[in-house]
Amino acid sequence: MIELFNQWHGRTVRGVLLAVLAGCTSTTVDEFRQGETGIASDEAVVILGRRQASDYETRSEFVQCVGDRMARGEGAINVVPEQEFVDAMFPWFEPRTAPLRTRDLEQLMAENVVAEKMSEFGIRYIVWLDGFTETTDRQGSISCTIGPGGGGCFGFGTWEDDANYDARVWDVGSLTNVGTISADATGQSYLPALVVPIPLIARVESNACDRLAAQLKEFVIGN
Amino acid sequence: MKLFVEIHPVLLARAFLASFLLALVSCGVSTVTIEGSFPTPNISKLPLSVAVYYDQSLQDFAYMEYSETGSEEFNVQSGQSHIALFNAVLPAMFDDVVVIDSLDDAVAAEVDAVFTPLIEEFQLALPTKTKLDVYEVWIKYNMRLVTAEGDYIADWVLTSYGKTPTETFRSTESAINDAAVVALRDLASSFSLSFAQVPEVRDWLAQL
Repeated sequence: MIELFNQWHGRTVRGVLLAVLAGCTSTTVDEFRQGETGIASDEAVVILGRRQASDYETRSEFVQCVGDRMARGEGAINVVPEQEFVDAMFPWFEPRTAPLRTRDLEQLMAENVVAEKMSEFGIRYIVWLDGFTETTDRQGSISCTIGPGGGGCFGFGTWEDDANYDARVWDVGSLTNVGTISADATGQSYLPALVVPIPLIARVESNACDRLAAQLKEFVIGN
Repeated sequence: MKLFVEIHPVLLARAFLASFLLALVSCGVSTVTIEGSFPTPNISKLPLSVAVYYDQSLQDFAYMEYSETGSEEFNVQSGQSHIALFNAVLPAMFDDVVVIDSLDDAVAAEVDAVFTPLIEEFQLALPTKTKLDVYEVWIKYNMRLVTAEGDYIADWVLTSYGKTPTETFRSTESAINDAAVVALRDLASSFSLSFAQVPEVRDWLAQL
């Protein structure tokens, strides 16, 4: 009984700590469907980051995060890793040469080497991820004092993270754009410091990744 | 004595990291030798026998980035990585490729053409100077193609560009390397796909 209480108590403390240490995040996911979807067990999806913009690029870590989440859990989908696909398709999916529209993909698929590789991987859908996470609204400051007798920090800081990502889904079979899913996550992080800084970080990008991956999985399966 | 500092919390972690890295590297120039792996292009080969000559200036190519105060900051050595890149790309473009040590060896090699790549310009853009969240590398090349006897076939300019985003726990050296590797891949893709479209090369290929 005491052991059971300790287990429950431990979980509660961990839960409360996580809730306290995580800042508030709100996530909105929009879906725009343009065609029917569905995927067979021997077919796969590849998720690629758009890197054409001059002042930002879709981080490969975010692309990997979405892929990892789509490839696990209920209704897991075969996801080909981005770098493996881009290397195997070299030089057709580099930032300068990657198809920007489905019409470009149609021309690309006319190249035998591209069509063969696509077939080898069993690619049914190409998902183009485009977006970034930015930090805005930085306020406050923290003062830290270091002396022979010890040190400590005092103050308060806050900032907002905003993650905006679009996922365009191309059907390699019909060479059409079958839909777009966008995820917008916003969160406020806080860093109060009373001797020791206590970070209350909003998991903005992680939430955007979770929600986008879940929606993409459902979209591709055709639910 | 007490040390009192006031700093924004978001910058606090970066400041500690920067101080730590600063303590690790001594004052002076930091050498970055570009290293990366380059995949073989999936393209149709041209039925040509080509010799490639790597000029000493390409083999030893290095770019020096200066700080805003004019002191040497980063020495980016990319000569050998360019050779590794061309050694991966050219055999996928042509039926037969040989590396020659001198342009005089071309006739004995009995090749259709001799290819000589040269770097004309190299630019590096660091976030500390551009205020953008990306490291950028831009390279301008001069590509020369002559017959085994040294007669002119084509001479054209090619540019390549690579960028990589800033990350909290990544060193400047690593980011410069990553941006340069992206630029080299960009060179490989544009060179391999546009070679036969260069007007003089296209005319020469039509005559063969």
